[in-house]
Amino acid sequence: MSEQIKPDLKFINSVINAGGESLKKCFQCATCSVVCKVTPDDKPFPRKEMVQAQWGLKDKLLSNPDIWLCHQCSDCTAYCPRGAKPGEVLGAIRKLSIEHYAFPSFVGKAVADPKFLLLTFAVPVLIFGAVLMALGNLKIPDGEIVYAEKFMPVPVIDAVFIMSAIFAMIGFGVGITRYWKDLTSGTKVKGLPMAAIMATVTEFLAHKKFKTCEETVDRSRSHLFTFYGFVGLAITTTWAIVYLYGMQWLSPYPLRDPMKIFGNLSAASLLIGITLVIINRLKHAEKAGSGSYFDWLFIGVIFTIVTTGLLSEILRLLHVPVLAYPVYFIHLVVVFFLFAYAPFSKMAHMVYRTTALVYAKHTGRDKA
Amino acid sequence: MEKKFGVYICKGCGIGETVDIEKLKKNTAGGARVPAEQIKEHGILCSPEGLELIRNDVKEGTNTIIVGACSPRVKFEEFDFPGTLTERVNLREFVSWTQEPMTEATQTLAEDYLKMGVIKTQKGNLPEPNILPDLSNAIMVIGGGISGLTAALEAANAGYQVTLVEKEAELGGWSAKLYKEAPRQYPYEKLDEPMIFDKIKEVEAHQNIKVYKSTTIEKTDGQPGLFDVTLAANGASETIKVGAFIMAAGWKPYDATKLVHLGYGNPNVITSVQMEEMAKKGKIIRPSDGKEAKKVAFIQCAGSRDANHLPYCSSFCCATSLKQAQYVREKNSDAVAMIFYKDIRTPGQSELFYKNMQNNPGVLLTKAEVSAITDAGNGNLYVEADHTFLGEKIQVEADLVVLAIGVVPATRAPQEYLDGLTEAGKKGDDAKKAYVDETAKPDFILNLNYKQGPELPTLEGAYGFADSNFICFQYETRRTGIYSAGCVRQPMNMAEAAQDAAGAALKAIQCVEHVATGTAVHPRAWDQTFPDPMMIKCTSCKRCTDECPFGAIDEDAKGTPFFRVNRCRRCATCLGACPERIVSFKDFSVDIVGSMLKAIDINEDDFRILVLACENDAYPALDSAAIKRMKISPSVRIIPVRCLGATNLVWVTDAFSTGIDGVLLLGCKYGENYQCHFVKGSELANYRFSKVQETLNKLQLEAERCQLIQVSISEYDKLPQIINDFVARVEEIGPNPFKDL
Repeated sequence: MSEQIKPDLKFINSVINAGGESLKKCFQCATCSVVCKVTPDDKPFPRKEMVQAQWGLKDKLLSNPDIWLCHQCSDCTAYCPRGAKPGEVLGAIRKLSIEHYAFPSFVGKAVADPKFLLLTFAVPVLIFGAVLMALGNLKIPDGEIVYAEKFMPVPVIDAVFIMSAIFAMIGFGVGITRYWKDLTSGTKVKGLPMAAIMATVTEFLAHKKFKTCEETVDRSRSHLFTFYGFVGLAITTTWAIVYLYGMQWLSPYPLRDPMKIFGNLSAASLLIGITLVIINRLKHAEKAGSGSYFDWLFIGVIFTIVTTGLLSEILRLLHVPVLAYPVYFIHLVVVFFLFAYAPFSKMAHMVYRTTALVYAKHTGRDKA
Repeated sequence: MEKKFGVYICKGCGIGETVDIEKLKKNTAGGARVPAEQIKEHGILCSPEGLELIRNDVKEGTNTIIVGACSPRVKFEEFDFPGTLTERVNLREFVSWTQEPMTEATQTLAEDYLKMGVIKTQKGNLPEPNILPDLSNAIMVIGGGISGLTAALEAANAGYQVTLVEKEAELGGWSAKLYKEAPRQYPYEKLDEPMIFDKIKEVEAHQNIKVYKSTTIEKTDGQPGLFDVTLAANGASETIKVGAFIMAAGWKPYDATKLVHLGYGNPNVITSVQMEEMAKKGKIIRPSDGKEAKKVAFIQCAGSRDANHLPYCSSFCCATSLKQAQYVREKNSDAVAMIFYKDIRTPGQSELFYKNMQNNPGVLLTKAEVSAITDAGNGNLYVEADHTFLGEKIQVEADLVVLAIGVVPATRAPQEYLDGLTEAGKKGDDAKKAYVDETAKPDFILNLNYKQGPELPTLEGAYGFADSNFICFQYETRRTGIYSAGCVRQPMNMAEAAQDAAGAALKAIQCVEHVATGTAVHPRAWDQTFPDPMMIKCTSCKRCTDECPFGAIDEDAKGTPFFRVNRCRRCATCLGACPERIVSFKDFSVDIVGSMLKAIDINEDDFRILVLACENDAYPALDSAAIKRMKISPSVRIIPVRCLGATNLVWVTDAFSTGIDGVLLLGCKYGENYQCHFVKGSELANYRFSKVQETLNKLQLEAERCQLIQVSISEYDKLPQIINDFVARVEEIGPNPFKDL
């Protein structure tokens, strides 16, 4: 039985605009699939995806778990004889997939499109600005710097972030449910495959996949630092909640406090990680591609979070209120951005990739 | 001419250390009967002093010179003594570089070679050019397409009078029917307007070019420099004289009605030629209802690279479809052009155009084997394709299907007709008559008045193209003076055709210029010798007429063969063919070679092997082996021949009757991918050889004593082993029993 192929010129253009502008250079030789270290031998990627994208076969691509098996080592891009940068193209397709499953979809579109960059940032700026105005905290407070007491009360922060977290959770929940449905439609997969989930998580913790990359193997280190920086900061946050609500102990906390030490170490790990990410990206730009708007937005947000976070602390200790309060304000804005838009930014990769890997492991598609 | 001999032996390049020069001189004086004082030696003969030695003797009256030094393939400018008969004896490559120094066997070998050289000059004569009277240097171009127009301009700009004959009413050929051309210059992005119209204007205005439109060739008589061409136009005819032709008759699209499996016959399936017409008219539409076409499928290799249709690649169809994809995209930005290909083949700079078109979002490409075009039910069609990277078996809807149709050379139809006629003729006169009555006669192009037929002969493996298949001589056909260019020679794009035309124009100029000096045109360019038959002994067996690869021998009313010497390429195939041995050249004849081989020293205790080596591939290969200092058995005596086709069987029987133990013929490859400069020399030699082996059996001589081996020039490294193995086999058989007689 022949398969109907329906070319979609619009989708071709959207891949091109999403950072896959080299897509059409591919002449379908399969060098990429041959050099790829993480592809399964059966129906290997990314040549398949390149050809499908060249013909605009949207339905085949967006729900395709293989696009998430790719870790963008960029070995394919480095060896491509035509400069078609399959790694970058798959990145663009992943972006489109995130956008496709986004809920609510208009937020997905806004985060994906540089036209709406200011608008997306305007939301947290207005929220936090309104709070400050309501509290009459718009001017720089005098005396010792205490963010919670004199600037932005903790309950307000918690309320905003809990709301945005709920918003993100709903977004992820709907997106991932739709994605899982598309993945498993027409297959016999039922329920949650726990063994595959466990295998996926242990693989993540060790960053096994990343280490198989050749051209950009140093990315495994930068990602590991970033990843564990985030894990550490999540633990720190939980720890702080215990201090705050469990022990009724208000911030700031002394530098020698174990929670403070742990938090600062985590922040350092994140700073090292994200700085290495930037350095690696620039270093490999020529052979691996320079990345899309979507990539750099995400990198920029993380970098700003960690730098403004650390600066808030340092400026507070050095007592420079003129700088400390504005920097802290920026920190809150970008943290909001990361939280609230997680299902729509590249942050979503952690959820979609996990889901795709679980599916791939469960169905025997994943190589490792 | 009273011959005054001078033998000059060089001692350089190791010759002096390999051979006892004094003994060599003494035995040459005795064996070849040359006065001892006329045999001289020099340390480095090619040095100014060495050459001075010879030149002084020439001044004193020496006119027949034997140079015993290096191969005749090198230092030909140094050892050039105008007005003399000069023979080069290859003591360096064949003796000094391939033999053990100072042995008895090496000494005998050198003496034999020098003796053979002397005998060759004793038997031969100084050639004089044969310049025919009333020669024309005008050039006729057949075909007014891109190739023909370019060739006409090239020849005319070089100062030659050109007649351009076009059978259509207008010049321009296919190029004039194009909507646009694939880009001609960097960055190969934007389609170009056709430039053919400028070329047409230039040709029509050129003072050296006369254009005949709606004209065909009724008859071509004569030979290079002396062609009488009768042109026919509107019922009238006119005869004009030209020196050479450029054959640029072009191509026809393959018959699309044979491509039913690709949907041809459905109104929405058209050829790339029809696509040009459509684009020229304006919109790209679905012909069945005139609706704008938004999904256009291009099927590559429609009929090409297909054993059932055209087995070859038609070269430009990929670029054509990419160009037409741009028509689709240019006229409607929502439309997609889908190209289904076996491989994209975009030679040369077309690759850059391919890359640019690839980058167009609406140009979709896939490798595919299109199995069928079927009806989609809504007026559209389905392209059914297998083995794509989009899926093993896919179906894609299209509202217009374009078949990238292949190239059929204009020469193919006449060739096929004539081949059919020959086949029918073999079955008898009735079959021949039936063939003529039943078969539609295609348009002939040249209508040559040649014994071997009116058109360019079929070349095996050339699929009707007017190709030479000679790697080094691409424009030459098997008719001297007729040079092909453009798609009649090989499928090619317009840029390539223009280059081709310039090349063919140069060959035509070479032809008229050489003929004017009475020398061979090619590949033995400047050869002053020519076949000079002793007609009184001719029995009109017509073997030469049949076997001449170039149709140089016609027959008069009584059936007696005669040479059209300007058609001749001096391969001496006729000399090899003639059972009466009446064909001679001044420096190459049955008697000359026969006398040379009879001069070989026959020793009862030693083996002697005669090697007749083709001058074009085998002999250079032997030289190359010598440069690598590869050893060859000292029993071997090598005599070069113009072509293995020039081998007369009497030499083989002569060799055995004088006591030579084995005869080895070294010729070029024949059959598919043959490399013979004279088309089928070694093949003919092989055929004749099969006869001589029967004779050998009758004489109770082992057939294995004589062998023909095909070698190419690149196999020089294997050649010494091949020869030595042959020597070993003959030694196993034992000495020639005739030796004692």
